[in-house]
Amino acid sequence: MFNALWHSLPLWAQDGAIALALLAPALLQAPLILRGYRLGPLLRGLLRRHAGLSLVFILLIATSVAIGAAITAQERALRQGSARAADKFDLIVAAPGSEITAMLAAVYLQPSALPLIDGETFAEIAATEQVALAAPIAFGDSWQGAPIVGSTAEFVTHLAETLAEGRLFESTEEAVVGAGVPLEIGARFTPAHGHGVADAAEAHDVAYEVVGRMPRTGSPWDKALIVPVEAVWGVHGLADGHGPDWDGTLGPPFDPSRFPGTPAVLIRASSLWANYALQRAFTTERTMAFFPGNVLSRLHAIMGDLRQILSVVALLTQVLVTAAVLAGLMMLTRLLARRLALLRALGAPRRFIFALTWSFAGSLILAGTALGLLLGLIAARILSGMITARTDVLVTAHLGWPELHLVAGFVSLTLSLALIPAALTIRRPVIADLRL
Amino acid sequence: MLRRDFLSSCLGTGLSTALPLGLLPGALRAEAAPLKLRELYNKDKSFSGIALGLEGKPLTVEGFMAPPLKADSTFFVLTKMPMSVCPFCETEADWPADILAIYTRRTFRTVSYSRKIEVSGLLELGPFRDPDTGFLSRVRLTGAHFDIA
Amino acid sequence: MPRTPPPLRLRDLAVTSPGGRALLTLPKLAIAPGTATVIRGPSGAGKSTLLMALAGLIRPARGEIRWGETDLAALPEPAIARFRRETLGFVFQDHMLFEELSAAENASLAALYAPKAARAGLAARSEALLTRLGLGARGARRVDSFSGGERQRIAVARALATDPPILLADEPTASLDRANADRLVADLMSLARDGGKTVIAVSHDPALIAAADRVLHIEDGALRPESARV
Repeated sequence: MFNALWHSLPLWAQDGAIALALLAPALLQAPLILRGYRLGPLLRGLLRRHAGLSLVFILLIATSVAIGAAITAQERALRQGSARAADKFDLIVAAPGSEITAMLAAVYLQPSALPLIDGETFAEIAATEQVALAAPIAFGDSWQGAPIVGSTAEFVTHLAETLAEGRLFESTEEAVVGAGVPLEIGARFTPAHGHGVADAAEAHDVAYEVVGRMPRTGSPWDKALIVPVEAVWGVHGLADGHGPDWDGTLGPPFDPSRFPGTPAVLIRASSLWANYALQRAFTTERTMAFFPGNVLSRLHAIMGDLRQILSVVALLTQVLVTAAVLAGLMMLTRLLARRLALLRALGAPRRFIFALTWSFAGSLILAGTALGLLLGLIAARILSGMITARTDVLVTAHLGWPELHLVAGFVSLTLSLALIPAALTIRRPVIADLRL
Repeated sequence: MLRRDFLSSCLGTGLSTALPLGLLPGALRAEAAPLKLRELYNKDKSFSGIALGLEGKPLTVEGFMAPPLKADSTFFVLTKMPMSVCPFCETEADWPADILAIYTRRTFRTVSYSRKIEVSGLLELGPFRDPDTGFLSRVRLTGAHFDIA
Repeated sequence: MPRTPPPLRLRDLAVTSPGGRALLTLPKLAIAPGTATVIRGPSGAGKSTLLMALAGLIRPARGEIRWGETDLAALPEPAIARFRRETLGFVFQDHMLFEELSAAENASLAALYAPKAARAGLAARSEALLTRLGLGARGARRVDSFSGGERQRIAVARALATDPPILLADEPTASLDRANADRLVADLMSLARDGGKTVIAVSHDPALIAAADRVLHIEDGALRPESARV
């Protein structure tokens, strides 16, 4: 019954309730400890007096919190970014081999040499009733390190929906480029064979003119230059995919006998269930068919497991750092001992001394945690930026509920641990400490 | 057990005692014995009386998670039989009646296609094209969550 | 409203070191309310031990320390702390102020842990005390900007801010020069006399001894037959 209630709550309420539950130990003990006292002036005084040491403690806590928060935020960002980049790729058909390699090549444009799918297979795919779109993805060439991909105008439309500027290619000398390609409409470029530093000897003897630009997609396709697949074949001296009486109209239908092949085919099914049917239909000796989203979610599961291990390590680090800080605090309470003894000699209640020590530790913990969240966010942003720069997969890290939950648990745990030095200080001998 | 559900059952005791029973939504049906997918359809593939009667209401359906088409999404397909168990024994004609589109409240972790799961959510009938994925579905559970049965 | 101090009565008092060595043995001692008493004697004789025991900071091995009806020797720790903050004022040899706080904050330190209702009165009284001690204008300054004599006067203000009927002092002038010591003794005694307070001080200061009603000599952990006023 509770389950029903729980699932009927809005998500923010669920997350908020979890955060509150994790924070509850801290929230419950704080008023009990602090009730009725004005700790501010003495607390500020103590923090000022031991500013250097306090800062070291705060930085230690901040670093460990930052690592924990950065790991979870980064993993989530990576997951979301890589999933978004694969959004347009429902079903890929490629020659049998590694699904991951094929996915990296066809979706993330990480160059690798794949065997080709021949014209008859392509024709068979294109003719299948449930296939709404079958587009060749012919990668291999590059321009200044950016991938040149041969495909069809339908594919560009599928990927970009509407172009940011210009128009689709209409001849084999035209290209549509991704949002991140540093070429203006009307600019011309010459493809180089394969990937790597442009080499004059290796360069092909053709030039394309940029006629259109896709909007930003947050995927490696932002760096891609898409040309008609016929042009890619032509550049390599292969057949043009069409019969002898071809009028130059680009795209399907292709002539199976004059189809030089494509390393991958993107399929868009006409209905939801057809995706599964097509995946089965094209899992043959000659082809494999896979959902990039599914391959990705398996990778995500591995990444999630790794993240969990890392999170446990990070959590242990946090606890260790906190234990070290508390050990440090116990030493610090020896430094404070004379002043605490003085307070007791003046008649301050023991709970006041307890509260002062605890809130001193608590201030360090809270300041360290807040700083740690900030540092974690910055670290995750920097990491995300580096990943985006290297892979062109747009990865943006934000702080979310998981980080808040982590931090809430951490604060509760460490504030509870801080009860220990606080309890120890009130057991110290007043007279002996007074004479220190 | 999934972490979220673990947490929710931990939190359970506290919250359920804090709220008067009268505030509980009419979601208790979802606790009844899970429905089988085929109970949603008549033989002629039209919606069954059960399905029509439950439209817009919460219910629990059991089945198997088809390999998700999208990563890190809130969408998957529930199938009557474990997917990939037998590539020959099902014909395309059976497909539409054997699957149910599931929209979860949170992004979920993929469950192996061979594990039976129980999905709870609100039943929606009628064609709907997902604006994000472009997928068209006739029947859906929305706001769903699931447990391994 | 100044409270009348309770009379002090010690009986069969024995204080021992943690090792069991006798530090102080006092079969009998009574101190009348509102009087000023100076305890003197060679160092290590047990003067401070007596003062600490009177404040409840040392628990005797046996015997009674009766302030009125209250026997500190028999009270649990929290009750002793309560007695200290409600009934006692304490001035130490070394002013023992919180350097990172202002003079006014030090003087009204008890307000930090006093019940809310008592805070305003405490703050007003400590301010009045600082003014009377000639430090009112500089109350907001941090303690390190004050001279040694001034700091000890702030300590006096702190001790009296709760208007305690009893004032205990441990060598209050020992670290001051003559002029400052004289001024402190004058301030201390006039404040105590005005309030009708009991003063018990460990001191060798001739000015303080001269101002006292009674002088006790402690040697080797025992009270020597009382000399009359010096």
